[in-house]
Amino acid sequence: MFTRKVLKSAWLSTIPVLMGYVTMGFAAGILFAGRVQTPAVGFWAFLTSFTSISGALQFLLSEWAEKHAPLLDVALLTVCVNLRYGMYGFSLLERFQGIPWWKKCYLIWTLTDETYALEVENKTPPGESSLSYCLAMAGLDHSYWVAGVTAGALAGSSFPFDNRGIDFAMTALFLVILTDQCREARNRLPAAIGLTATVFCRFFFPPDKLLIPAMILMLALLLAGRKKIERKREARP
Amino acid sequence: MNTQTVYLISLTAVTAGVTILLRAFPFLTFGRTGKPPEIIRYLGEVISPAAMAMLTVYCFCLHFQARPLSAAHGWNLPEIAAGLLVVGLHWWKRNSLLSIISGVVLYMVLIQKIFP
Repeated sequence: MFTRKVLKSAWLSTIPVLMGYVTMGFAAGILFAGRVQTPAVGFWAFLTSFTSISGALQFLLSEWAEKHAPLLDVALLTVCVNLRYGMYGFSLLERFQGIPWWKKCYLIWTLTDETYALEVENKTPPGESSLSYCLAMAGLDHSYWVAGVTAGALAGSSFPFDNRGIDFAMTALFLVILTDQCREARNRLPAAIGLTATVFCRFFFPPDKLLIPAMILMLALLLAGRKKIERKREARP
Repeated sequence: MNTQTVYLISLTAVTAGVTILLRAFPFLTFGRTGKPPEIIRYLGEVISPAAMAMLTVYCFCLHFQARPLSAAHGWNLPEIAAGLLVVGLHWWKRNSLLSIISGVVLYMVLIQKIFP
């Protein structure tokens, strides 16, 4: 089902993702190996990246595994960080209709920001199946991410080097996503609300207990100000 | 199994389970209508920028906690300089990888060599 042509075009389309995933995955893997105390750190890096395939989450996982964060907090924060994935499917509902269930499951499982963007762009070569093309891209992106994280964890645990400061990769990743979102004026007010809520909560909570109250306050503000925020969003598309 | 193994298994199950359910959400719930409820659509749009801002502040709080304000730590200058470099470079060049790598390298050099 995967012709040479499909595989080649899927490979070419995913080269930018390859560079991004391997680099970011490697940094996340190094951080994971530095934080998580377990003899089988490579295995756990592999398992976590293989199952959840989520960049922001992979960095947070190191923090949570180090501090043994309460699982309810982990679940709530995962919803908050990855809620956007829950929106992507809506634009793919029709495209994915009527395809074999296991292929659909795999496409859903591997729906990351980058893979979603490529699937929407859909540069299937003429005369080829767009389903095969999307599956090939999903599989390639999935393997790049797992390879990056696992290699980073193995490298970090077998060649100890001075990695102080590598944790800035997480900060930089969030800053980059935030910068991209703030290019659109409509996202600036929600971003300002998230920022204000978190800074405010920092006066009352230490950093390791900060995220849950900040998230609650942020959601409350977003819901309370919904009318105003929506009006502003419509005015500045 | 020791506590660490049990915790890591639960952590993997919770994070992967929640993430996969989120990705499957449209296919599980509104497969027929193809439209999310208004409130979900609204939150789905505004939560991303808000959550990224929250996580950015959280990360800086972690850095500031690890390196409290003092002359030896360069008065948080490494965090501020690396943060500004990432935002400035990204605003200008729009190349995520370039912005992140430059920021991390600058930060590592600053805290390892200049303000150890």
